[in-house]
Amino acid sequence: MSGDVEKLGYEQARDELVEVVRRLEAGGASLEESLELWERGEALAARCEQWLAGARARLDAALAKDSGNTR
Amino acid sequence: MNRPTPVVLPPTAGATTAEHPWPVRMLTAKLTEYVAKAPALWVEGQVVQLTRRPGQGTCYLTLRDTDVDLSFSVTLAVRVLDALPAPLTDGARVVVHARPQLFPRRGSLHLAADDLRPVGVGELLARIEHLRRLLAAEGLFAAERKRPLPFLPRVVGLVCGRASAAERDVVENARRRWPAVRFDIRPVAVQGPTAVTEVVEALHRLDAEPEVDVIVVARGGGSLEDLLPFSNEALLRAVAACRTPVVSAIGHEVDSPLLDLVADVRASTPTDAGKRIVPDVAEELAGVAQARRRAAAALRARLDREASGLAGLRARPVLADPHRLLVAHGDQVVALRERARSALRSALARAADDVGHLRERVAALSPAATLARGYAIVQSADGAIVRDPAAVPGGELLRLRLAKGDLAAWAEGPWADGPWNEADDDESDAEEEELP
Repeated sequence: MSGDVEKLGYEQARDELVEVVRRLEAGGASLEESLELWERGEALAARCEQWLAGARARLDAALAKDSGNTR
Repeated sequence: MNRPTPVVLPPTAGATTAEHPWPVRMLTAKLTEYVAKAPALWVEGQVVQLTRRPGQGTCYLTLRDTDVDLSFSVTLAVRVLDALPAPLTDGARVVVHARPQLFPRRGSLHLAADDLRPVGVGELLARIEHLRRLLAAEGLFAAERKRPLPFLPRVVGLVCGRASAAERDVVENARRRWPAVRFDIRPVAVQGPTAVTEVVEALHRLDAEPEVDVIVVARGGGSLEDLLPFSNEALLRAVAACRTPVVSAIGHEVDSPLLDLVADVRASTPTDAGKRIVPDVAEELAGVAQARRRAAAALRARLDREASGLAGLRARPVLADPHRLLVAHGDQVVALRERARSALRSALARAADDVGHLRERVAALSPAATLARGYAIVQSADGAIVRDPAAVPGGELLRLRLAKGDLAAWAEGPWADGPWNEADDDESDAEEEELP
């Protein structure tokens, strides 16, 4: 299952994470389902954090390169 | 009595005497006749004091000599005034076609004019004004025809006097703002008889150059006559026909040749033109740098927002503390087990009670008490209880269950039939009677 989380874009992963939290908080799912939901939530959160860290790195690299060029 | 002699009016003015004068009316009539003989003439002067009242067909002006302080009153039909190409200003030089006329009531002399025309500079301005109206009517000055100047021209075409101050002003001011600007300069005569031809030729050449993105026509200040070429019809039409935008930079702020109206942009001076044709490099670079800073800041802010949103989600108990899920279930299981156990305990207690009750009943029904009173239960070898002595043949093993234990005995047969019976008749009868 974590395989398809890797393929999700940032907004998709984030929106799905919001949905997972909503369902867990609403309760009503079986124990088995709750465990699976929680595991998926963790995978989605990790994917989002990974994407954001990558975006920051790209931005900083581009700015460093450009400020080097305009000198 | 003095009878007046019949009045004899002298025929000529020279013939009058103090005793034989003319009456005023005679003088008026004679002078009117005399003045009427003077022909109409053209006279030049300056207009001072023009008076016209609404509704009147005649207006009045004073025509003064240009050099000395001598003047005449002039009357003129209003329609002549209205037919002029430009309104008369005070001090305008004019020529007037008029006849001298005597105004009989007052005996004053004035000029009755039937034509009036401006001359000199006035005439020139009038001609310019006429052309302005003509071209305006054709729509050459219309705002829709004005082309916008390019933000950053590849090459700036410049039509100006050779090595003139105007050239220097345009070039220096442009280079100060954008040092890399390129010029294509065409020196021309900017006044005199050849100016119009040369300027038009330069315009055509520059317009044909593909890299020239804007053309500036510039010259310094001068008199009205000096600037005349830039109100010339041929030159103006050439500018109107240019596909490249044209900037007019003629003379000083107050000068307004017609080129200003036809050009796409009017600069008040050559210096002003230099500033308008190129942007300010320093400003533009600062603007670009600021835009980049803002873009980077906006992106960072977005990333920060997303990261804190994510942290918020992560901090939610359902994700951060998943043990809660299990704890809830665990508690439920414990509670259920407790209930089960407690139910079991109750059931056991009830069952124990039941057994206790049953036991008592069994005990109550049990023969032990009877046995304790001295009775015995007799069982044959097969376990059957013996009630009838006849049922037990002699020699059979009997089991006697007494209160304190079991006794084995051999049956001899029914007591009534035995030999013992005779010997102890009295005792046995007595014993029999004792038996309850």
